[in-house]
Amino acid sequence: MSSAVRAGTTTTTTMSGASSFVRFKSEFLGIASLPQPNSRSNVGARVKFVAASPTRASASTSGGGGDGGDADRDSDQKKATTKKAKASEAPAQQQQQQQQQQLQQQVSIVDPVRLGRRSRQIFDEVWRKFSGLGQISRTSLSDGDDDAALLLREFAIPAAQSTTVLVVGATSRIGRILVRKLMLRGYSVKALVRRPDQLPPDALPRSVEVVAGDVGDPSSLKAAVQGCQKIIYCATARSAITGDLFRVDHRGVYNLSKAFQDYNNRLAQLRAGRSSKSKLLLAKFKFPESLQGWQVRRGTYFQDVLATKYDAGMDAKFEFTETGQAVFSGYVFTRGGYVELSKKLTLPVDRTLDRYEGLVLSVGGNGRSYVLILEAGPSADTTQSKLYFARISTKIGFCRVRVPFSSFRPVKPDDPPLDPFLVHTLTIRFEPRRQRPIEGPSGARQDLRSFKLILEYIKALPTGQETDFVLVSCTGLGIEPSRREQVVKAKRAGEDYLRRSGLGYTIIRPGPLMEEPGGQRALIFDQGNRISQGISCADVADICVKALHDSTARNKSFDVCHEYVTEQGRELYELVAHLPDKANNYLTPALSVLEKNT
Amino acid sequence: MALRLPSQFSTPRHPRHDGHHPRRPSRAAVALSWRRSLAADALASSGCSSSPLANPSSPSPGKSHARPLVTCTAQAPAAANLAPGTPVRPTSILVVGATGTLGRQVVRRALDEGYDVRCLVRPRPAPADFLRDWGAIVVNADLSKPETIPATLVGIHTVIDCATGRPEEPIKKVDWEGKVALIQCAKAMGIQKFVFFSIHNCDKHPEVPLMEIKYCTEKFLKDSGLNHTVIRLCGFMQGLIGQYAVPILEEKSVWGTDAPTRIAYMDTQDIARLTFVALRKENVNGKLLTFAGPRAWTTQEVITLCERLAGQDANVTTVPVSVLRITRQLTRFFEWTNDVADRLAFSEVLSSDTVFSVPMKETYDLLGVDSKDVVSLEKYLQDYFTNILKKLKDLKAQSKQTDIFF
Repeated sequence: MSSAVRAGTTTTTTMSGASSFVRFKSEFLGIASLPQPNSRSNVGARVKFVAASPTRASASTSGGGGDGGDADRDSDQKKATTKKAKASEAPAQQQQQQQQQQLQQQVSIVDPVRLGRRSRQIFDEVWRKFSGLGQISRTSLSDGDDDAALLLREFAIPAAQSTTVLVVGATSRIGRILVRKLMLRGYSVKALVRRPDQLPPDALPRSVEVVAGDVGDPSSLKAAVQGCQKIIYCATARSAITGDLFRVDHRGVYNLSKAFQDYNNRLAQLRAGRSSKSKLLLAKFKFPESLQGWQVRRGTYFQDVLATKYDAGMDAKFEFTETGQAVFSGYVFTRGGYVELSKKLTLPVDRTLDRYEGLVLSVGGNGRSYVLILEAGPSADTTQSKLYFARISTKIGFCRVRVPFSSFRPVKPDDPPLDPFLVHTLTIRFEPRRQRPIEGPSGARQDLRSFKLILEYIKALPTGQETDFVLVSCTGLGIEPSRREQVVKAKRAGEDYLRRSGLGYTIIRPGPLMEEPGGQRALIFDQGNRISQGISCADVADICVKALHDSTARNKSFDVCHEYVTEQGRELYELVAHLPDKANNYLTPALSVLEKNT
Repeated sequence: MALRLPSQFSTPRHPRHDGHHPRRPSRAAVALSWRRSLAADALASSGCSSSPLANPSSPSPGKSHARPLVTCTAQAPAAANLAPGTPVRPTSILVVGATGTLGRQVVRRALDEGYDVRCLVRPRPAPADFLRDWGAIVVNADLSKPETIPATLVGIHTVIDCATGRPEEPIKKVDWEGKVALIQCAKAMGIQKFVFFSIHNCDKHPEVPLMEIKYCTEKFLKDSGLNHTVIRLCGFMQGLIGQYAVPILEEKSVWGTDAPTRIAYMDTQDIARLTFVALRKENVNGKLLTFAGPRAWTTQEVITLCERLAGQDANVTTVPVSVLRITRQLTRFFEWTNDVADRLAFSEVLSSDTVFSVPMKETYDLLGVDSKDVVSLEKYLQDYFTNILKKLKDLKAQSKQTDIFF
């Protein structure tokens, strides 16, 4: 075919609109390039209905043309010449030339069938246009090049074309609508389904790729996350049986985020680099040597003489036990005293902490709380360092604690907020103040002044632009009270796993779901479990879709419900309602005021 | 319920003589009077059906054209039968004519707002895959074959009818007979809401068959007693792309008329959006709404705007309206060109300087919509041209060939 068409077909996949246009164009080259002396000279003048007949005549004399490319090249030349003709004001001469060309072409015409087809085509075209004038404007679009270029205005998301989203729970109340919304916007969608063979027909759009798998079964998730850039998790346990809750809401989130991270890391290894979503190891306490560089220090907040009076002694040690654990333990009886474990951080050459968002500590012990202190400043001159602190609490037994950099506060209130780039020293401090007794089987009176902290590793969580994993959780409203605690507990455990995974997350906790069309009522975005209303499934789905490419949605958890009027006496805080209008992006302003890393 | 339907449809042409509606004419008479009004001597002969309109509250047309009397002959008791069944979910809707310019936007909008959308699509060799891809359920049926309709209405709460016959088929087939069948079915099956798209000013131009049909359908729908909303439209911006924008970009000749008619074009996406707002408003029930764009344009103005935005002059071929009218008159002489004549009938409207526009303030207030959200034609075409020119530029940059002329 012609060059124009070839150019079009190479880019068909990405630009259907443009390519269809080119197709159109080539058609045009084929048809309208025929010399039309009459209509050319009549440009602008009123061509009566008779305009059809000269076209037809010219078609029958010169129609057909040569074969494929030749004709097109000829036509281009001719177009050029006709253009020149207009410009050079020597139409007679040019017309002669044209006629010559016409004659040349005529020689090559021997195919009456094509000739007839061509003339019919032209007549049809003219007639279509003519009769179109007399009609109430009707457009006949073909199915394929739907909305050619931009009629998708409202649904245009530039990144959608190149994004594959894995939807877990695609047949759920939210999921059904979500999948459709994603399809409308041009995303590629994968749906994780437990038993694809039992899927009712029409449950999912046909172009959705169905992957068999179960979030409770880690091995089945490998294939599901393949090729995905985003995950939306809107599955929930169908019953309140603890096993189900654990499998879907708790472990399921963990399994899937892990599978996704594994996939990201594997991809990064193929490129011989590190995944931008993987965590950075700051310290790992696996061997006795790994304790090197860590210093144990003592101190007291009381600088005056009184300190000595209340000095009842304190002690701490950091050692590697026979069982292979790095244990920081001791006691502080002195009032205002503390002990701390500190190390100057050594980062890999190409890494700085400003590309990270927080720390994750994997620790065990007897459930005390600690103060994490970061020293930041130019590493050459430590006297200029500023101190920043954040309090962490641990549980009895092992747990992972996530401390976002944004939760660090300067020790001196005047200091600027923490800049992770400048961090050079990490300190874990134990002080007997503000320790809370641990409830539990250990029952017996504990001495809150002694502590034991088993350290496994310290890692930094990566930062990024967009959210990778959207999790639809719940506020607990609308669940029958006897089950509520159980359900909420499982959901919260799943949320926690996600936060520590290193993936960019958005956790949406909608109020009780309602089956009604979305976009009708204003929404309230809030943090802190204060909402009391329901929300329509379609609105939740819309938030999920909007959150995918919204940088303000990254690493946020929030409650959302329909607008309501606060009860008398409870209007302590102002609720800002956002109308989910498609024209404006309501999510960005709504989320930008909310706390990050929650 | 479903078992009763066939008997009902098997005898649609029998006049029903029940005590409740003594003045109700037979179905056959309706068809007849309707056909007459199409004929050239409509003025003279339509006196026979000049009895007062079935619904006295409706605005009677100020012209001398008498309206054919149309009434819905569907049985009302059938709807009452539904009471003990499972309630139909209010989010389940059926879109008729879903592959059309407006229909597809309605489907999109509905899906995006979380409705369960079923699309009534004619069986065809190339099925409407794009609807399925978006997540709509496609059912095959044909309005011109009434027996295929009832099955598609099962479990449907709202019917949105954006169908119109294709240009190449007889105008009456879908737009009148099909619609009558659809409305009767909807009535019989207890559909709870029916949205019908009509044409603005259709009551003022009975000489144009399509407009006349639309007006008759409006009346028919009203008489059917269905819970309905009629939305009258002026013109689609989408239509202008194929008519003017693409030819200008291709340096093809653009065909326009010198008609002084002004049309307030509107974006179909806006129409779809407002439709769903109207659908959910209880106070719009049974009302007649007219949607019009922010400004009314003549053909010449549209072409000038396109030229300006495309940055190139157009080859304008102006066809005087008189030529169109003459062609219409000619084609009417022959039986086999009657369809053509029907389609050219709009030229009658073009020759008058009617304005297809309506002040929208009231409608916006009624629907609670901000007028700023409605796209103007300038903005719409500007978006189109910037996008398409950018794409063409990209395309040109990508291909090694430099001899592509646009």
